[in-house]
Amino acid sequence: MRRFRGHWEDWRRRRERSDYFHERPGRSHSGSGSRTREDVVTPPLPEQAASGSQMAMSVDFKTYVDQACRAAEEFVNIYYETMDKRRRALIRLYLDKATLIWNGNVVTGLEALNNFFEMLPSSEFQVNMLDCQPVHEQATQAQTTVLVVTSGTVKFDGNKQHFFNQTFLLTAQSTPNNTVWKIASDCFRFQDWASS
Amino acid sequence: MHKLYDLSSRQSLEVQRLRFDPASVTFGVEMVPNPGNDMAASLQIHGENMPKLLPWNLSNTKPCQLAGLSTTMQNASNIKNLNLASNEVKSAGKLDKGQGLEPEEMSADRNSLCTTFPDKSTNISSILELFPKLLSLDSQESRPPTNFGIEAHKRLPTCKGSFFESDALKSLVLQFLRRYYLTYDSGDRQGLLGAYLDKACFSLSIPFNPEDPAPSSLCEYVKDNRNIKKLKDPHLRLQLLKSTKHDIVRSLCVLPATQHDFSSFVVDQWLQTERVLCFSVNGVFKEVVGKSQSSVRAFTRTFIAIPASSSSLCILNDQLFVRDAHPKETHSGLFIPVPTPASSSVPTLSQEQQEMVQAFSTQSGMNLQWSQKCLHDSHWDYTKAAQVLALLKAQCKIPEEALTQTDPGS
Repeated sequence: MRRFRGHWEDWRRRRERSDYFHERPGRSHSGSGSRTREDVVTPPLPEQAASGSQMAMSVDFKTYVDQACRAAEEFVNIYYETMDKRRRALIRLYLDKATLIWNGNVVTGLEALNNFFEMLPSSEFQVNMLDCQPVHEQATQAQTTVLVVTSGTVKFDGNKQHFFNQTFLLTAQSTPNNTVWKIASDCFRFQDWASS
Repeated sequence: MHKLYDLSSRQSLEVQRLRFDPASVTFGVEMVPNPGNDMAASLQIHGENMPKLLPWNLSNTKPCQLAGLSTTMQNASNIKNLNLASNEVKSAGKLDKGQGLEPEEMSADRNSLCTTFPDKSTNISSILELFPKLLSLDSQESRPPTNFGIEAHKRLPTCKGSFFESDALKSLVLQFLRRYYLTYDSGDRQGLLGAYLDKACFSLSIPFNPEDPAPSSLCEYVKDNRNIKKLKDPHLRLQLLKSTKHDIVRSLCVLPATQHDFSSFVVDQWLQTERVLCFSVNGVFKEVVGKSQSSVRAFTRTFIAIPASSSSLCILNDQLFVRDAHPKETHSGLFIPVPTPASSSVPTLSQEQQEMVQAFSTQSGMNLQWSQKCLHDSHWDYTKAAQVLALLKAQCKIPEEALTQTDPGS
């Protein structure tokens, strides 16, 4: 029981902190009905102890993998649909300081991303490969992170169809009721970029 | 029976039925047959023969695959007036906004597009979205929507090559990749144990093509394929993610032997923090099967790495995506592997071959080792080797190592 009490202390502290990170403070505690449809949301994360402590073992690797897969699947559905049909809402999926490398062009920060996605012609994406991996907290300072890799085809208005590969790094922002995932990094490239 | 009509002098075209053959660039137009003539004259129009100014009346036609329309016409943008009235285009989504169908006048009234949307204004704005250059809709001047001007300026940015945040990071990453692939291609991948952290993760995936779900070409990778879009079993999803360095290296050792083309590598270094360096490598490799030349594959490999020392990296996450190379990626001729040390065994050359190497080196500016490699790969056909080299030079694919005159192993 002692172990669980430690967990609750941790949880309470983290709950206070997470309000600071949440972008819409008024809505963080309400039910799922209040979130916008662009949010990528999964159930709350399993209790995570501070790294290095024995309590870290209480969440096993399988849970991390399941959670990563769930986040990746949910994310990919929302991301490409938003990109195709509600382009202006796409930047809501990115962290403020997120970076996009698009066929070798670098775009940093929400304002630049916003302009970039406005300039991009309308799109039709078809994803036919998705893989994901949890990223060990050693790399992320205890912020839950998932690597997502996709591939498929895309047709931009006025251009021919391309095969593409894309890599995302998603980070989790936890609230007591759910986890909201945002893009920290995005790397996109046509497979035939050199001849386009 | 088909007749080829010259339409260059025609100003307009009445079309009763449209028939498309997506397999060819032409599309067929069926004119209503004369009562006495039971052969429908079929008009084959090549895109480039489309008249320049063309009010094109598609009214009262049977449902046509307008989706295929503009992709089969090279001069679709010459169509200035498009009459879709009473046409059974099912929904706005079916109109291909891809290849430049940009009429300036359009009649869409009574089009069943109208019935797809709840109100006319939605219909109008979706038509305007599809045809941004529209000036007149149903004979009424269309009010440009607020983003009218912006739509016309949308374009794709120019694609560029490798991206690194700094030269220092570029050196670090390239050095890592050289070392990594040297071992990876050496025939014994056990040496990679040192490249991974204890709790590293690795998985691999191959493309899923709905038209060819079980291709035989990538069969060596199928058993490890972790495409979670198709793979739903949580147990398998867990099993196919290797999560200790020993499991990872064991998996890598059973993958086909490879020879990576270092000159083909395009790297996007997409994140750097004080804890982590992330980059994705795109390139091609050959699968080495005995002496015979095997398939050329293309790959995208994403690494999340942690600095192990000031000059080396240790892998935390490794995701490998393998696919068949597109025809343009399998450039013939010089396939430059990761530079191997000079001590690797090289067959002794005849006098004639030695002279060829010397001459080639002098003429091309490449050092002796690379000149020999180039000639060897072209089966000692000097002319062919020179052609291949010229091609690669034009594509800027000659690595620095090939040009240095010092011993490449040093």
